[in-house]
Amino acid sequence: MNGGWFGRYLRVDASLGSGQIVTIEAAALRAVIGGAGLGAWLLLRETPAGFDPLGPDAALIFAFGPLGGTPLTTSAKLAVVAKSPLTGRIGDALTSSDFALAGKRTGFDAIVVRGRAAVPSVVLVDGERVTIAPCEDLWGGGRPIGEVEATLRERHPGFEFAVIGAAGERLVRYAGVVNGGRHAGRGGLGAVLGAKRIKAVGVRGTQRVAIADPPRAVALAKDLARRSLGAATEKYRELGTVANLATFNRLAALPTRNFQASTFEGAREVSGEELKLTRERGRGSCANCTIGCEHFYEVTPGAPAVKAEYESVFALGPLCGIADPAVVLAAARACDELGLDTISTGGTIAFAMECAERGLFPRGPLADETEGLRFGDGARLLALIDAIAHRRGALGDLLAEGSRSAAARLGPLAQEIAPHVKGLEIPGYDPRALQTMALGFAVGTRGADHNRSGAYEADFSGKVDRLAAGPEAAAYAIASEDRAAVMDSLILCKFLRGALTDFFGECAELLAAVTGDAIGADELRATAGRIVLLKKLFNVREGWTPAEDTLPARLFDTPLPSGAAKGTVLSRARLGAMIEAYNLGRGWRADGSVPREAVIAAGLDGLVDISGLGRGWAEQKERILQGGEETGRSEGERR
Amino acid sequence: MITIELFGVPRMRAERDSVVVEADSLGEAFRALGVACPALDPTVVQEGRLRSHYLVAVNGRQLTADPATPLREGDVVVLLSAEAGG
Ligand code: SF4
Repeated sequence: MNGGWFGRYLRVDASLGSGQIVTIEAAALRAVIGGAGLGAWLLLRETPAGFDPLGPDAALIFAFGPLGGTPLTTSAKLAVVAKSPLTGRIGDALTSSDFALAGKRTGFDAIVVRGRAAVPSVVLVDGERVTIAPCEDLWGGGRPIGEVEATLRERHPGFEFAVIGAAGERLVRYAGVVNGGRHAGRGGLGAVLGAKRIKAVGVRGTQRVAIADPPRAVALAKDLARRSLGAATEKYRELGTVANLATFNRLAALPTRNFQASTFEGAREVSGEELKLTRERGRGSCANCTIGCEHFYEVTPGAPAVKAEYESVFALGPLCGIADPAVVLAAARACDELGLDTISTGGTIAFAMECAERGLFPRGPLADETEGLRFGDGARLLALIDAIAHRRGALGDLLAEGSRSAAARLGPLAQEIAPHVKGLEIPGYDPRALQTMALGFAVGTRGADHNRSGAYEADFSGKVDRLAAGPEAAAYAIASEDRAAVMDSLILCKFLRGALTDFFGECAELLAAVTGDAIGADELRATAGRIVLLKKLFNVREGWTPAEDTLPARLFDTPLPSGAAKGTVLSRARLGAMIEAYNLGRGWRADGSVPREAVIAAGLDGLVDISGLGRGWAEQKERILQGGEETGRSEGERR
Repeated sequence: MITIELFGVPRMRAERDSVVVEADSLGEAFRALGVACPALDPTVVQEGRLRSHYLVAVNGRQLTADPATPLREGDVVVLLSAEAGG
């Protein structure tokens, strides 16, 4: 290996307090790149089929990218990968900054944490040395995450930390992992760490990231930095992602009051334009980023400003019917300090607000605790965030499970209106008004997800009819997933993508300059498909069925009630046709099951040791492979 | 008359929410917008065209950048960033 990769990962056993170094073949790294791709592959290798995501068999993987630690802008990132306790499917979240850089300097391409510590502890990875240090004083006290990080830095100088908050300790199924104010937010990865009784993982190292062709890499880095400041990123630099809010409202694509509408009468108050004029107090960026999309806003005069993204403002604002920016920003801060994913928090509370208005909570503690709960109630929003993070009361405990589980308790109507796909709450892109995104949400391996599928790009290109998309949208959804798979594996920030004119060619060039591997654009395109398939195969192994590739019932066949897209309908049949076109476009069966030939064509039969993956996998494989000539034979026998 | 509504960076640069122009096509509307709001020429509109990374939605519906798109009296042209990442 000439550069970028180290060719090994560290397996930490939290039960034993030990570490084991495991070699990764160069061919495997070339096949999955790093980051999300490497994490998905390791998750398949490191876990038995059908494992409990909160059990000791579960693995939480910090996977670095080959470009991390180089001068390339936005490359200071890592993927955190596990089986999501919210969805039961793959959970992969990206985060940035100093933890990513320090983690890479340990000299590993990934750190895999398994087992369960005897008492609340911090895992310290100091190069090749692993220590598990008890930290019971930091557990259970409800201290804000920022304070915990500061204490850990004092105790263990030179380490960078990824930390869980109160929500992770209490196994809230959408608790995140936080490092330096950045969040691996979605899917409950913080609960996976909490179940291992690990408050934090600290990393420190002295390894240098080798670069195969330094002059070429430096030249490419300079060029990329220059282009990162062009028109493609000016929205992020000048207003931040929250600029989406007013625009989406005008296009009737802003999910409001638990998806009862797609326009919000209070949108102006919480819009990016308004926040910029009235509350912006500063900007920031991840480490090694020239774009700097972070914008900080004043919550109350004199108090520290809070960083807010579109997704947080949408979920804690319009989705809950709240237009007061002070409440929305305070709610975003509370989620950050408690270690909660803002999208799932807002989505689950909005769902509860609608259930309360409709009288769906059963008599007893749940009805009592939801008495008077209505959309627009900022005080109740803030109280519920705290109750969820601490699983306080019957309601806090119920909502800590997420909207899908809560709905299963509340009955069929609640299940129709629970705002999730595969258990993951839907982000702020209304799928009825952005119908390529409807497809992206439905087929996403992580569930409803705007980061693994940027299918909305097609809706925002004018190339498809965003209000009446059909099978022609599938190719765009596939292309956007493929681009995301590459960026999440290299890893580069997706806000750079608009600055790349020849996406696969340029990414291949960056990879070649750093690693020395002459990976061309075509190979990288094939690699993208392989990474998407790896995630799908994990889901298949863990029980995926075609029925879960869909949207909540309420989103079908009912006209949007207001705004520019008033009257627009997303029909179940049309989404079904798009899903079928997507599956066939991927080389899978029309129902999304994966034929043996597709696994072989992607080069995964040699990469995934199917014979060692356990009985559950073999059963799944038989079911998924049914119809092929080799039905009835396990993958192990074939190999 | 055609109303051009501005969102995001164009709104901040032009320091206004909307502009009313006379135009029979998007191309004419873009040209008129550049005259009415010099701060948007050439970063957002240039010589009757939209710069890349911007789009419009006529009456808030389908998105396009095609200057040949005809406009009718009373149409509202919503100008926005094509970068919708969040
Ligand atoms: S653009 Fe934003 S999210 Fe991306 S690396 Fe830079 S600061 Fe981080």
